[in-house]
Amino acid sequence: MIIKKISIENFLCYYGVKEFELSDGLNIILGENGEGKTKFFEALDWLFSGDDSDLELLVSAKALEEAEVDSSFRVKVSIVVEQYDEKKIIGKSFVVKKKKANECSVSNYMLEGTEENKSGERIQVDGKKLLDRIFPFQIRRYSMFKGEAELDIFNNEDALMNLINLFSDAKYYDKYFEKGAFLRDKAEKAVEDSTKNDQKNKSLYEKLEWDIKQLAEEKYKISVHLNSTEEEIRKLEGNLQAAESHVKNADALDTINKRIKNIDEKISDLYGNIDENYTTSLFDENWIAVNFEPIHHEFADKVKQLSIQRRMLQSEFDKQKGIKEGERKARAELLNNSIPLPAGIPSKAHMEEMLKDKICKVCNTKSPEGSEPYKFMMKRLEEYLTSQAHKEEEAINEEPLFKNDYTNRLVNLSVSHEDNLKNLRGVRTRIKELFEFNNARKKDIEELNEQLEKEKAEREKILGNSNIAEEKLVDVLKNYNAWQNDLKQRNKEQVDYNSRLKVVEAELKTKREDKDNIDLKSANSFLIKTRAILRDIEIIFNDTKEMKFDEFIAKLQTKSNNFFGRINIESFTGTIVFTKRIKADKSFVDIELQEDGRTFYKPNQSLLTSMHISILFAISELASEIKEENFPMIFDAPTSSFGENKTAEFLNLIYETENQKILLIKDFLSTDKKTKALSIKKEFEHVNRKKAFWIKLERPFDKNNLKTINTQVITL
Amino acid sequence: MARKDEILSSFLKHEILTSKYELEKSDNPLTVREGLSSTKPIVKAIALIVDGLENPTPITDAALRNQIIQFLNETI
Repeated sequence: MIIKKISIENFLCYYGVKEFELSDGLNIILGENGEGKTKFFEALDWLFSGDDSDLELLVSAKALEEAEVDSSFRVKVSIVVEQYDEKKIIGKSFVVKKKKANECSVSNYMLEGTEENKSGERIQVDGKKLLDRIFPFQIRRYSMFKGEAELDIFNNEDALMNLINLFSDAKYYDKYFEKGAFLRDKAEKAVEDSTKNDQKNKSLYEKLEWDIKQLAEEKYKISVHLNSTEEEIRKLEGNLQAAESHVKNADALDTINKRIKNIDEKISDLYGNIDENYTTSLFDENWIAVNFEPIHHEFADKVKQLSIQRRMLQSEFDKQKGIKEGERKARAELLNNSIPLPAGIPSKAHMEEMLKDKICKVCNTKSPEGSEPYKFMMKRLEEYLTSQAHKEEEAINEEPLFKNDYTNRLVNLSVSHEDNLKNLRGVRTRIKELFEFNNARKKDIEELNEQLEKEKAEREKILGNSNIAEEKLVDVLKNYNAWQNDLKQRNKEQVDYNSRLKVVEAELKTKREDKDNIDLKSANSFLIKTRAILRDIEIIFNDTKEMKFDEFIAKLQTKSNNFFGRINIESFTGTIVFTKRIKADKSFVDIELQEDGRTFYKPNQSLLTSMHISILFAISELASEIKEENFPMIFDAPTSSFGENKTAEFLNLIYETENQKILLIKDFLSTDKKTKALSIKKEFEHVNRKKAFWIKLERPFDKNNLKTINTQVITL
Repeated sequence: MARKDEILSSFLKHEILTSKYELEKSDNPLTVREGLSSTKPIVKAIALIVDGLENPTPITDAALRNQIIQFLNETI
């Protein structure tokens, strides 16, 4: 089947009706980024598998802008294909009605099919059925690829098995394997029933049957565990292989991160040791008094003088006070050495009364004026009066010389200052030492910061070398170590399971042989012979099915490597290797790029892309051989990792292949630096192709306004 | 070569037929029709299965089994 024509009408950037008249073989569609290549691919994808959702998003903005309100227009993608010399048309469309500016309603889509026979007669048919008939969806799955990433369909083991089943004979042989098993099973049963009729070995036979059943169950369980362990081993090996490229970086990152953490902690500790509270701890409290010593000496001298002077005055004062006290004591001693009566006895009033009466009323003696008693009384009165005057004088004299002891306080202050001077004298040194200490720590911090910057630069380098983020890189190391441990464990389990399986299988074989021996003695010989033949037929059917599978894989491998070598002509490629493995009694295939039997280390994207394309071409070729029918392959930007030269070689190779291929690429276009005008490079003239188109946006256009976007199709 | 003949031929290539049944590959029938006329029970049994399964109206399991058993019963 080949696609003869593709029409795209009012679909996204394709305003109006745009047609591509295609040829068998290689069709190349050139287009710069953003000028309609992917929309071309998406138009076909919508035709083949699109649904009714978001149809209004597929409408050309320019068509909607230019339509009158309440008017309608059509969005349609259609292909005309040729198959067995007959023409078939498949079109998918919906109607758009403009309601107001930038707003529209859309109908459901219609998928129409038309068949035109050799005589030119056209018949309308179910579009979906026609599409599935001419281009089955299983084939479409391996015929349309958008970008390089989609080429790698083989990471999904089911996808590859679907493909193999689609094109290899192996799937066809499944029914023989099933029938072979069915017939053998029935033959086994017939023999068993026949043997059981013989009562001789009945109990032994039944025990053997029971043992065989138990052993078969045990074998199945071990096989399930073994498969699951092998699956885990494959995954772990895959993970380890994928991680290996990162592990070196991850390991280095881990070491550097530890060093960085260590440096950060040291810096933090050093900052903790620095006390730069100079103002409060030194400057305000002590530094201000650091030049106080001469003043203190002056002050201390003055205080000393004051103290001496005060003591002298006090001494003189005390001396005078002592003299007065001595006099007072001396006067008291004059009273005939007897203890005199206290002054005022008799009282002043009695004394004056007795002097007036001139009688001593104490001794009742007349005491005329001038007489001794009279004089005595007069003297006594005078003493009293004097004593009264003397007491006042003494009270005055008892006042201290200095009411307040300021001098002493000044002395204490001076002594205190003297003590502080010791601290003040050390202030300069302490400040100096603190500055030196802090500066030394700052220098240490500076050096550590330099070291930190170097480590961080190293870390950036490591992260720059890695294509995964730092967090993931850290995880890689953790996972890598965990995976390695898991792998060791699983490998050990695998050995254990294999060894247990061997034991069970050997035991099972022995039991079956024992059972067969009883059968030989007891069962009908015809049934035994029938069973033997049907057992062998089952083996033949199974082995043939496996052989067909292996043959297909071998053929696919040969063809893939053939394309692979031709795409990468004159460069080292390695070999694409297809490996079959059995999982839960099913066959699976792994694809790997190898060099000398070892996994190819980190193939570049270009090599991987060419490997994937080679496999797809090989499949396409095999499909042609097996199905006796060609199907087109459509690739959107499959070679973005190729250089222009390699793309040219690649296109020339495709040109030599048989099937129709439609390739959308952005190569061979150049933009004039001054005028920004696009043109096709001369190198494209040397690229073999059957048809070529250039899709480009109509100029001028506003890149921010979809209403101005219209992709033009130029047939080259 | 018809598909069913190809299938039969692919089965008859199996080494068990030479090693165990001592059949010469050169004597192998080329078609299912020839296989159905074979004097070798295993060859005819395989031919019967291929013929039954490649028939436009596929044979049922029970009918296929009966056919094989009956044939073998007559032959071995």
